[in-house]
Amino acid sequence: MANEKILIIDDDEDYLASIRTLLESHNYVVSEAASGKEGLKKIREEKPDLIVLDIMMETVDEGYSLNQIVKFQKQYEEYKDIPILMVSSIQEDPFTRFSHASGQVEMIIPDQYMTKPVDIPKFLELIKKLLKK
Amino acid sequence: MYAKKEKLIYVIDDDPVMRMSCKQILVKEGFRIETFEDGLKGLKRIQEEKPELIIVDLKMPKLGGMEVIATVNEMDPNIVIVVITGYATIDTAVDSMKAGAYDFLPKPFTSEELRLIVNRGLERRHLIEESNRLRQEKEKMQRQFITFVSHQLQSPLVVVQQFLEVLNHLGDSPKKQELQQEWIERSIIKVKELIDLIRDWLQLSKIESGVLVDKIKAIDPFPIITDIVQTYNEQAKQNNITLTVESPESVSTVKGDEEALNVLFSNLIVNAIKYNKPNGKVTISIEEDSNHVYISVSDTGIGIPEEKLETIFEEFRRIKSESTKNITGTGLGLPICKKIIAELGGKIEVQSKLNEGSTFRISLLKYEE
Repeated sequence: MANEKILIIDDDEDYLASIRTLLESHNYVVSEAASGKEGLKKIREEKPDLIVLDIMMETVDEGYSLNQIVKFQKQYEEYKDIPILMVSSIQEDPFTRFSHASGQVEMIIPDQYMTKPVDIPKFLELIKKLLKK
Repeated sequence: MYAKKEKLIYVIDDDPVMRMSCKQILVKEGFRIETFEDGLKGLKRIQEEKPELIIVDLKMPKLGGMEVIATVNEMDPNIVIVVITGYATIDTAVDSMKAGAYDFLPKPFTSEELRLIVNRGLERRHLIEESNRLRQEKEKMQRQFITFVSHQLQSPLVVVQQFLEVLNHLGDSPKKQELQQEWIERSIIKVKELIDLIRDWLQLSKIESGVLVDKIKAIDPFPIITDIVQTYNEQAKQNNITLTVESPESVSTVKGDEEALNVLFSNLIVNAIKYNKPNGKVTISIEEDSNHVYISVSDTGIGIPEEKLETIFEEFRRIKSESTKNITGTGLGLPICKKIIAELGGKIEVQSKLNEGSTFRISLLKYEE
């Protein structure tokens, strides 16, 4: 089986470097993007098997916007099943944060969420699980 | 002004002449009017659709005006209640106001009086709604700001911790040997960023608590400036940037605090070096008139886009662009300058041209015995 491709979208190049090294040490093929815009471009170009997505980049909710675009916009139809693992140092995860909101909440909820810095064994396990689906 | 169109007003009065005349006057004003002959009918309708304002007679059979006021006020305190009464005494007026009425109109009244009181009541409701909206917006911005600040404070540490954990995870692999030196260096930079941020944040909150005002005394700005120039000369030279001070022979003392002025001038001079171009110039010039001392810091650097000039003095509004991406900063330097200047009763202004440079001009008050 070919090695699975993971795209990391994060505006902190140092954080990117740490996660890239971690994933590469487990034989994943890693590509990276430093913004939501670049991330969308890479999704179209590379069609990764999984996306690790930061929330707060240039704007406070850039990750949520990207999630919404990939999962719900028509021109991203063929990418909508790529699992998205959202990571952020924001302490409140999106499930709690938006639990009181109504309406279009499901639009921005990712497949999974983890707090930065990620707990490495749990992170690797979650990635394995998401890739299996 | 609020938009009058479509505003819904209910008139509740057992006197048909009164209902009719109120309606005639207010329809001409562009309001939507419905009338009711008793309190019960009025209340029933309010439950279906809330008006902006009601006009209610105090003395009615069945449900009296006072009960209507109390019930409406309980249902929605934002509905403006105007009371009309034939037996206007101070007591009844006070009672109805206590129950929640906005104002009262003694019978007989002119159409002009009715128009005035209705418009005033609606204007007030509009102001209340507007201020509620602004308050909610402000609260939302504060919440976002707190999220943002905690993110900024955590990010550098998160990276350092992730570096360490990944290195730890790699065990004794050759990859670890290859990476660890680089990651140590990157971590040192991250920790320094965090320390700078905490220092600036503390600086900002120190000024915010207003302690500066008590410390104001006569300060000679010239030696502070020359000290700073000396301190940063080395850093400037590395990029071939020349620092020049242009000053009259003697400079008056200003109202200030030595530490605060040091922070203020340092921030501006360091910015002028950081955002300069190689072989650029930084000129610090001191001038004065009868009441002020003016200190300008000019650079020949990358400049500030015109649309960003308004926001650069706000917290965390560093300009992100290709030319600034390798320059570190906390996003708090200019907000600190602005706070210090405000505490000292001075002014700060900026002029800038993209790719040509910026000039920050401070005016400080001369110290008078």
